[in-house]
Amino acid sequence: MSARAELRHLLALIAGTFTCVALAGSAYADEPDAAAAAHARQLAVAVCGTCHGVQGNSQQPKFPRLAGQGASYLGAQLRNFRAQTRGDPDAISYMWGMASALNDETIDALAQYYTHQSAGRVPVRDAALVASGRSIYEKGLPDKGVPPCAGCHGSDAHGVADFPRLAGQHSQYILKQLASFQSNMRNVAAMHGVAVNLRTPEMEAVAAYLQGLP
Amino acid sequence: MQTRSLLYRIVAAATLAAAVLCAPRAALAVPSFARQTGMACEACHTVFPELTHFGRVFKANGYVLDNVKQVQDVNSKRDQLLELAQIPALSIMVQASYTQLKKPLPDLANVSIPGEAQNGTAAFPQQLSLFYAGKIAPHLGAFVQITYGNDSGTIGIDNTDLRFADTKLLPDAQTLTYGLSLNNNPTVTDLWNSTPAFGYPYAASNAVVSPLAGTQIDGALAQNVAGLSAYLYWNESLYAELGGYRSAQQGAANQLTGAAGPLDGSASNVISGVSPYWRVAYERNWGRHSLEVGAYGLDVKLFPGGSPGATVPLSGPVNRFRDVAEDFQYQYVADEHLFTFAGTRIHESMDLGASFAGGASANPSDDLTTTRLWATYYYRRQVGGTLQYFSTTGSTDTALYPGPTPGSAGVVTSASGSPDTRGWVAEVNYLPWLNTKISAQYTRYTKFNGGSSNYDGVGRSAGDNSAWYLLLWFAY
Repeated sequence: MSARAELRHLLALIAGTFTCVALAGSAYADEPDAAAAAHARQLAVAVCGTCHGVQGNSQQPKFPRLAGQGASYLGAQLRNFRAQTRGDPDAISYMWGMASALNDETIDALAQYYTHQSAGRVPVRDAALVASGRSIYEKGLPDKGVPPCAGCHGSDAHGVADFPRLAGQHSQYILKQLASFQSNMRNVAAMHGVAVNLRTPEMEAVAAYLQGLP
Repeated sequence: MQTRSLLYRIVAAATLAAAVLCAPRAALAVPSFARQTGMACEACHTVFPELTHFGRVFKANGYVLDNVKQVQDVNSKRDQLLELAQIPALSIMVQASYTQLKKPLPDLANVSIPGEAQNGTAAFPQQLSLFYAGKIAPHLGAFVQITYGNDSGTIGIDNTDLRFADTKLLPDAQTLTYGLSLNNNPTVTDLWNSTPAFGYPYAASNAVVSPLAGTQIDGALAQNVAGLSAYLYWNESLYAELGGYRSAQQGAANQLTGAAGPLDGSASNVISGVSPYWRVAYERNWGRHSLEVGAYGLDVKLFPGGSPGATVPLSGPVNRFRDVAEDFQYQYVADEHLFTFAGTRIHESMDLGASFAGGASANPSDDLTTTRLWATYYYRRQVGGTLQYFSTTGSTDTALYPGPTPGSAGVVTSASGSPDTRGWVAEVNYLPWLNTKISAQYTRYTKFNGGSSNYDGVGRSAGDNSAWYLLLWFAY
C-alpha cells in the first residue's frame, strides 16, 4: 500500500469511527442516565401507577394507558401539563398539579419508562362496531372530509413520530379526547379539524376498534 | 355497699356521657392536601370526605406526595436533611348547622311540663377546625385537627394521625407500602370509609339525643388515647395493620401533683396496659369499580375508676371489651355517576367483672352488636344523597342501661334495660363547589334504648328523638 493510499485509508478509518461514535451518541441522546431512570421508575410505579397502572396499562378507563406510547408524545404532553396548556378537564384536575414540579430530565425518563413497557389491550365484543370503526380508521369518511386516522397514527395505530399510539387505549378515554378536541378544550388544531366532523356514533366506533387493537 | 353502688352508677353515667361527648367528630377532606399535590379534590375523594383509591394510597403513603416548591437541605452526600413546602399545609373547616327534634325535650327546670326546652338548635359554628395536613419531611406527614366545638365551648385536640411511610418496589412491578402511625383514635388510620372514625354519617348533629349504648371501637376512645400502629399495604390491594392504644386523656390531672399525669383514681375508664388494635382488608379495583372487604378489632381492658372527689383505685378488676368487626365498601366512580355501598358490623363481648362487682352492671357479661349499611349516590359530584340503616342490639342490663329514677326527666334512660336502637338516616347534599357542602339530613328512630313507645319510662317515644339536621360545611 502506497503512503497516499495508507493516508486515505487512515482518514477513512478516522471518519468512520467518528461517524459511528456520533451516530451512537445521537441514538442514546434521549436515554436517561441510570439515576434518572431509577427515579422515574420509582415515580411511575409508586405514584403514576396508582392511576395509570404500574406498567402503564391502567385498568380504569378514566386514566389513559401509557405502555408503549411514543416517548416524544409523552414528553410533549407532560410539558403541556406542566405549562398548563393542555386544557381538557382531567388534565386540569389531575395532571396540571402532578406535572408541575417535574423537571425535563424526569419527564424524559418517565417517557422512556412508559415507551419501553409492553402495551396491553382490552377486548371489545361488539364486532359490528369494531368493523365500522376499522373502516373509519383506515379509510376515513371522505364525504365528510374526515381523513383516515391511519394516515398519521399508522396502519397498526402504534403511533408515528409525534403522533400518539392509540392501539389498546381505553375507548372511553379516546371518546373523551375526541370530545375535547371537538370543543377545543384540548386545543390541537389538526385534531379539531378531524373531530369537528365526527358524530358520536362514529367516535364510539373508532374508539372501540382502537381499544381492541394489540 | 349502697354508697359504692351509687358511685359506680355515677361512673357508669359519666362513662356514657363521655362516650357521647367523644363520639366521632366530623371527618373531612382537607384543602391543604390539594394545595400540596396540585390536584383537585376529586383525585382523592368521590365527594368529601369519602376517599377514592388514589386518596387511600395518598394516605397510606403518609400524606407526603407533593408538587410544590420545597425548601431543602442536604449534606455532603446529598442526603436530604430537610424538605419543607413553601406553602404551609394549613386548612380551616367550618360547620354551621340547625337541628330540630321531632318532639322538644323537657326542661330540667320543670320536668313535669313536656317539651318545655326550646326546640331548634342553631349552631354557629357547630365546629370550627384548624388543620395541619400535609408533608413534614420526605417520609413524614401529618393530619392534625384542632377543633372548637360549640358543645364544649372550648378548643381541643381532634383526630390526629402522624405517619412515617415509604414504598418499596418489588420484583414484577409490585409495590409494598409500609408505615407507622401515631394517632389518637382507633380506625382513624384506616383507608376505607366503612370503619367508624371516617364512616357515615360524615357529619352529625351534636344537639340530638344519643342512644345509651355504643361499642368501644365506635368512637368511645376517640381523642383520649394514644396509639402506635404499623401497617403494610401490598400492591395497593392487601392491607394489614397492628397497633396498640394507651389512655391519653385530655384535661386529666394527677390529684397529688396537679400535673398532667400519671392518671390516678379520679379518672374513669383508664385503659389497663395497652389495648391491641388489628385490621386486615383486601381491595380489588377493576374498571370504574372498587371493592373492599375486611375485618378489624380492638381488645380493651378498662379500669372503671372514679371521678374528682370520688376516687376508685386504678387496680383490681377491670371491664374487658372485645370488639370484632367486619366491613365492606363498593365504589363505582365515573364522571357523571358515583355510587357507594358500604357497611360494617361490630360485635362487642363485654366481661364486666369490675362493674358487676360494684353493681354498675346487672350481668357479669353482656354483648352488643352495631350494624350500619348505607348507599350513596352523586351526580357529577354536585347533587347526591345517602340512605343509611343502623341498628344496635345487645343484652338487657338494667344497671348498664338504667331506667328513670322517681321524678327524673327520662329521655336518656331505658325502661326495659335494653340497649336496642334502630333507625334510618336520609340525607341530600348539594355541592356548589367541591369544598362546600349543603346538607339536609333526617334521622328517624324506630326503636330507642330498647323501646318504640315510652322507651324511657317517662312517656317518650323513639320517634320523638327523630331529628332534622341542616348543615353548611366547607373547608378551605
